[in-house]
Amino acid sequence: MSATKTFLLELHCEEIPARFLEPLITDFGEKLRNLFLEHHYSMGLVWKDINVTDQSTTKHIDVPVADDPSSLRNHLGEFAYSPRKLSWRVTGVPDSSPSQVRSEIGPPERLCKDESGNPTIQGQKFAEKWGVGFDRIQFKDVGKKERCAVVTFEVAGRPTLDLLAEALPGLIAGLHVPKAMRWGSSDFEFVRPIRNILCLFGEEVVPITVDGVRATNSTWGHRLYHRQHPEPVKVGSPEAYEAALEAAGVVVSVDVRRARIAAQLEALATEAGGRVVADAELLDTLAEIVEFPKIVRGDFPASFLELPKEVLVTSLREHQKSFCIEGADGRLLPCFLTAANRTDDPAGFVKAGNEWVLKARLYDARFFFAEDRKHPLSDRLEKLQALTFQRDLGSYHAKTGRVVALVKALATRLSSDEAHVNRALEAARMAKCDLRTLMVGEFPELQGIMGGEYLKHEGAHEDVWMAVKEHYRPVGAEDAIPSTPMGCLLSLCDKLDTVAGCFAVGLIPSGSKDPLALRRAGQGIVRILWERGWALSPADLIAAALQAVGAKATRPPAETTEALLAFFKDRVAYQLELAGFAGSVRRSALAAGWEDLADLKARCEALSTFAEDARFASLAQSAKRIGNILKDEAPAEAFDSGLLVQAEEQALAGQLAKLEATVDQRGLLVALADLAQPLEAFFTAVMVKCEDPALRAARLSLLHRLRKSFLQVADFSLWQ
Amino acid sequence: MHIQELILRLQRFWADRGCLIGQPYDLEKGAGTMNPLTFFGALGAKPWNVAYVEPSRRPADGRYGENPFRVYKHLQFQVILKPSPAKVQEMYIESLEALGIDLSKHDLRFEEDNWESPSLGAWGVGWQVVLDGMEISQFTYFQQVGGLDCRPVSAELTYGIERICMFLGGYDNIFDLVHGEVKTDDGVFPVTYGQMRQREEFELSAYSFEHADLDLHRTLFESFEKEGWRLLKDHGHFLSAYEQALKMSHTFNVLDARGAVSTTERPGIIKRVRDLACACAKAYLEHAEAAATPAEAGKGGVK
Repeated sequence: MSATKTFLLELHCEEIPARFLEPLITDFGEKLRNLFLEHHYSMGLVWKDINVTDQSTTKHIDVPVADDPSSLRNHLGEFAYSPRKLSWRVTGVPDSSPSQVRSEIGPPERLCKDESGNPTIQGQKFAEKWGVGFDRIQFKDVGKKERCAVVTFEVAGRPTLDLLAEALPGLIAGLHVPKAMRWGSSDFEFVRPIRNILCLFGEEVVPITVDGVRATNSTWGHRLYHRQHPEPVKVGSPEAYEAALEAAGVVVSVDVRRARIAAQLEALATEAGGRVVADAELLDTLAEIVEFPKIVRGDFPASFLELPKEVLVTSLREHQKSFCIEGADGRLLPCFLTAANRTDDPAGFVKAGNEWVLKARLYDARFFFAEDRKHPLSDRLEKLQALTFQRDLGSYHAKTGRVVALVKALATRLSSDEAHVNRALEAARMAKCDLRTLMVGEFPELQGIMGGEYLKHEGAHEDVWMAVKEHYRPVGAEDAIPSTPMGCLLSLCDKLDTVAGCFAVGLIPSGSKDPLALRRAGQGIVRILWERGWALSPADLIAAALQAVGAKATRPPAETTEALLAFFKDRVAYQLELAGFAGSVRRSALAAGWEDLADLKARCEALSTFAEDARFASLAQSAKRIGNILKDEAPAEAFDSGLLVQAEEQALAGQLAKLEATVDQRGLLVALADLAQPLEAFFTAVMVKCEDPALRAARLSLLHRLRKSFLQVADFSLWQ
Repeated sequence: MHIQELILRLQRFWADRGCLIGQPYDLEKGAGTMNPLTFFGALGAKPWNVAYVEPSRRPADGRYGENPFRVYKHLQFQVILKPSPAKVQEMYIESLEALGIDLSKHDLRFEEDNWESPSLGAWGVGWQVVLDGMEISQFTYFQQVGGLDCRPVSAELTYGIERICMFLGGYDNIFDLVHGEVKTDDGVFPVTYGQMRQREEFELSAYSFEHADLDLHRTLFESFEKEGWRLLKDHGHFLSAYEQALKMSHTFNVLDARGAVSTTERPGIIKRVRDLACACAKAYLEHAEAAATPAEAGKGGVK
């Protein structure tokens, strides 16, 4: 049994963009695993964060089936990354690759030996070719017509150190980098310049060179550490890695950094008398951009709290990478928490600096807020004529006109209160005005929100300003739909105009190309219809939208309508998936009709209660058979049940009457479930397409009427 | 620290490290990158180290001298190191220390920011350097300039002079910065940034947002373009033609600040500037390669 050692590789680079760290770690991890497999080490590597105590961060890479699956072990390798470092460590790597047993097949036995068993010339030559004595040759059945000469010998493994030295430079150079760069006079391309390579196998340095950088047994710690200690940090053994670096001011594990940041955030927020406004993405970002986290609290003048909460949170998050603190009442406190890449803030410069920068931004925000409010929001309406929405569809002013028309058409179907409808029209008119405000110019992500705030400030009705404020929702899968019916209507009409308008001028998403995010907008429309339970059919919506688009369309309306219907059907199918319905329920319910969403929802819910019911699997089979039988047939609706002779078909006819009398979904499904067994019996016993034309016709009609009943709920032929 | 002291220190620091100390180019431009010392200097294989101050004007950023942080024109300190040295990050950090920034007490970060200038056909990869939460420099490895691959790669370090001074001095208002002191027999008189520039900021902002004659500028844009191509095609004078491209670029910025350029028009207009700039870059390289010695390269045009 060969001895084992630990392998360690660290690439020390200039600061790597955070979003590339994980992909690079994963990419190299796979390549390293493949290297071991290629040389027959029995190591199917699974990678985990170097922080050994936290098992939940194990990152699984699909382990391919090797030549000998039984030899595969889920061997644990460790990775670590921080802004300037990418590291991988594997313990228990054998000193050399396993020796391989190799077989070479030679001529058939009868050609190798003569009758007395002595070697022939051919036999001798085979032995000589492989450098063995003739007595070493075995004669075996090798899957050919006769036994052949076989010589087996062991191919010695190679030292792991040599294999690594040969392969690593190519593996590193071959790492996939979406935006690679060059530096200096070299042609080498990588994510950022590589300035140091630490590469050990056991305590020996693996002799590799990449772009002129030779591997050593040392690396660099935090820049501040090296002000006191100019020498590189020696790493005596791979096991000593994380401790050596922590002592030099670098926490190599992203999970440890994240945990420390979270703990410090909570402690400081509590100290300030509030709690952190949660932001998981920001927490991840901070963990990725520091080598050693220190959370610093800064304050800002309380007068800035007059700004809308969203302005403060957005500014702090986007521009300062900082967390907000809110009090028990949900209002923000005049302070923030940010991460510094150092152990402390001895002179208070980090606090002061961040406060200074924030003040400048908030000053700008307050200036914009004040300037914007000098004029009523409606002043911006005419200015929307100069803001292009889309080249063929015109300006935002034109879009506003279309959205107003849509709201008018639909609001009356949802409300008979004239004042209410007028407020909805007002909201539609104002919805895009904030695009011409200074604040939205500076913070585009605050569109809608600022419009709502400004209207609120002007004393607009709550229905109106709330609708404007929320009309961009849902902005993503995690976001809620607008909280008010008027907001939902406005959101729906705005998105509908965008989707229908773009389709009408030929901008249709395909494959992975959806630059205008039409799918997201379409999904928003469907979600609103679904959650509000509004009886607005996609066909009606499309017709209204295309009517508003009118002559701006560049494609024929029939073509656009067809494309839009298919588009909406896809969105509805996805909505069913999001709602958690099983595949069988979704497929069969959709096929029986999808345009009445409230009805579709009811059917799906009813079907779901039967999803596990084995009788429905049987129904599916029967439904398929019915489908096949009725193909190319044109059965009449009415039939004379008196013509039916067999017990099984008479039983079915009886059930049919009951089915057709049932109105509610659930009752219908109960009746259908009860139909499973009789249907099976029917198909076993009855020949539908019999000789007698009258009987044949009656049987076909019976099946036709049964299928019609099914299709009230679902197309069961798609159940499986 | 006074503005002129900061400039002197940066010039001394980089001169000591093998840079030529250049001068700003005497045409309106938005960034130090547009100075021929950088635009042409970054092209070709010849080594090149240069550092200079560049007043940079961005019409859309004008605030009439009323905003304490944002101005129409600011000073950049531009450094080009070609090829980019292996210790370039360390050199940059040392330059901050030369300005009296004690990094043992500050938070310094390199945050991804990949700069590009579509009108110059230029782009690079690098960072904005953030000190205690404030961006103080742009640090870029040029990959392409004038539409051509940079081989070798130049490192470009661009410092925001007013910003750094405000930050170091804790000033809340850019116009309170002290540019330097005037000493005469009558005494010592500090001169503030406001005294030097506030009126100018007001007038330039007013021009930018109210008074600029749009028809004139549209005509100028067309004229500069025509002139540039004429100089390049008829005479092979890429330096003169490049000046016309700079004028096109500034003229576009003026039109843009007035809101006279729609979002659909913008890419097309930028492309026209880029086409001329890239043609100049190509012509420059052809001329430089044809010349055997640097002395010859400085001689008259190709045609």
